[in-house]
Amino acid sequence: MTTVQRRFPDENPEALFVPEMAAIKHAENLTAQDRLFEIELRDGKDLGHKPGQFVEVSIYGFGEAPISVSSSPARRGSFELCVRKLGGLTGKLHTLTKGDPVGIRGPYGNGFPMEDFEGADCLIVAGGIGMAPLRSVVHTILADRERYGRLMLLYGNRTPDDILFADELKAWAEDERSQILVTIDQPAEGWDGHVGVVTTLFEKITLDPSRRVVAAVVGPPVMYRFVYAELTSLRIPDNQIYLSLERRMKCGVGKCGHCQVEGKYICIDGPVFTAEELRQFHESI
Amino acid sequence: MRRTAVLTGSGLRELLARACRKSRLIAPVRRGKTSFDFEWLDEPDEVQVDYVRTVLPPKKAFLPPRETLLKFERGPHPAAKPLLDDEPFLLFGIHPCDLKAVNQLDWAMGQRHGIPDPHYLARRKGATIVGLECMPDEYCFCTSVGSCDTREGADSFLTPIESGYLVEVLTEKGERLLKESGDAREATPKEEAAARAYVDEKKHRITSEIDADVGELPGLLEPRYDTEVFEQTAERCYSCGTCTNVCPTCFCFDVNDEVGLPPATGRREREYDSCQLLDFAVVAGGHNFRGERVDRVRHRWFRKFVYLLRERGVPFCVGCGRCSKSCTAGISLVDVLNSVLAQAKEEAVR
Repeated sequence: MTTVQRRFPDENPEALFVPEMAAIKHAENLTAQDRLFEIELRDGKDLGHKPGQFVEVSIYGFGEAPISVSSSPARRGSFELCVRKLGGLTGKLHTLTKGDPVGIRGPYGNGFPMEDFEGADCLIVAGGIGMAPLRSVVHTILADRERYGRLMLLYGNRTPDDILFADELKAWAEDERSQILVTIDQPAEGWDGHVGVVTTLFEKITLDPSRRVVAAVVGPPVMYRFVYAELTSLRIPDNQIYLSLERRMKCGVGKCGHCQVEGKYICIDGPVFTAEELRQFHESI
Repeated sequence: MRRTAVLTGSGLRELLARACRKSRLIAPVRRGKTSFDFEWLDEPDEVQVDYVRTVLPPKKAFLPPRETLLKFERGPHPAAKPLLDDEPFLLFGIHPCDLKAVNQLDWAMGQRHGIPDPHYLARRKGATIVGLECMPDEYCFCTSVGSCDTREGADSFLTPIESGYLVEVLTEKGERLLKESGDAREATPKEEAAARAYVDEKKHRITSEIDADVGELPGLLEPRYDTEVFEQTAERCYSCGTCTNVCPTCFCFDVNDEVGLPPATGRREREYDSCQLLDFAVVAGGHNFRGERVDRVRHRWFRKFVYLLRERGVPFCVGCGRCSKSCTAGISLVDVLNSVLAQAKEEAVR
């Protein structure tokens, strides 16, 4: 397992629940329900996250919500969050724009162990908003291309209108060692791409048996069992399959209990686990 | 440090009266005909030394049902300040089971995950704790979970004897407190023996017990994750969350913002939450990871006797009996546990 990277105010333990104030540098709608924010911490300092980690985003009066970081750690001076409008806090966030303040705590959680992806062919399986944290993984791979093997991205959405980062997907596909496959659940007008749930994309990829393959999976809860079955039939060992679990991390610091999966706290021990680790849990996926 | 002394009943009143003048006091008082509760008091007159259990455990002195974490200002330049309550107080009259629970919370809100909760710890640091020996009723089972002789966490500890109380002075704070009573004197060997006899009598009177060593519980429960005992319990459970609200070792909470008047200000508050409530494990988008009642019911027993027991080495249950006594559906924590254990025994014989 990866070493847990924790960030909480060691130098000021009284401020455990006090967010750092940050400013929105740029905001744009990606889809009808998803908005991308570029956020700058005070003094332009780096967030210092790993792909797959999350922050608690705060708007006083509206509350706090865990949001995974969408940008690469290599990016300096700011970071990005892709936020789906689902509740009170995210609804309010969608009304914010350049210059508006937000509170940030974190980054929290363990994140993907990118060192394990180095030298391996990387199979990324994203469902819907699961693309948000996986974009951070993809950016990390593409920013340091030589360190990693092939990049295979299987990305499922309900409709063409839900696809996130559409322009970037095209750019990623230009890399000759990338295979970017996108699907939508039901046929739709104007869509001439693949149709079917994300698992139907697996027949389009061929793994090189001489190469180590590492998989990263993020998507809606319903997706995991089916994707895991596909990964297993591709003979990818359980300790090379990383899945990020979604839970309601209310406090982010291992206290409030909402993100417990049996004996684990997702905000501390996760959200990223290997399939091998998850096998010991009844509740995980 | 540990030394013993004897305090008379009037000496105790004097001690409480003086402590009250110096700091806040939280102690058991009678509420209604049969109920007791820990309450913040200005005067010690109402303090009850003779009670079995309070409705809410004394954890509320450190982790109130509702508390303000931050005071914030909204608007174009939002800012927030943490609210920490480190004012000294005396927590008087806490029974050994509840004292054990304070130790569990000290870990859960303190060292656990290497992240101390400043709000809990501020109150905890301000506390002087005086324990009090007790007599059980049919719901008590402290002898099964290793909490009946707890002294850790207390500054002094009182056991009723004929001449008043045998006082075990356990810390410097406890020593200073005893000095305020005025009339404390050395205990005689006979008085020491009387206090021991009191404890023996307490243990003798306990009728409820878990049919296994607590250390064996994870190994016995885990293979029975899908046992029909939890299904049957779930058929009776209302998912009301009373059991966790009255539990001295439960510490899960929810966080919400309250906008003040004027609305440019407000507070971020936390309050007790319960894994037994339907929406506890709901995530954005609506998926509920414990949407079935049986999953929530099982989680309670597994959390106390498997997950946290494994992590901490002690069960997150101190045998106070509150959950069983308060349960709207009459579900007994011990009975459910013993039903699973009976299954385990049957299977072992086969």
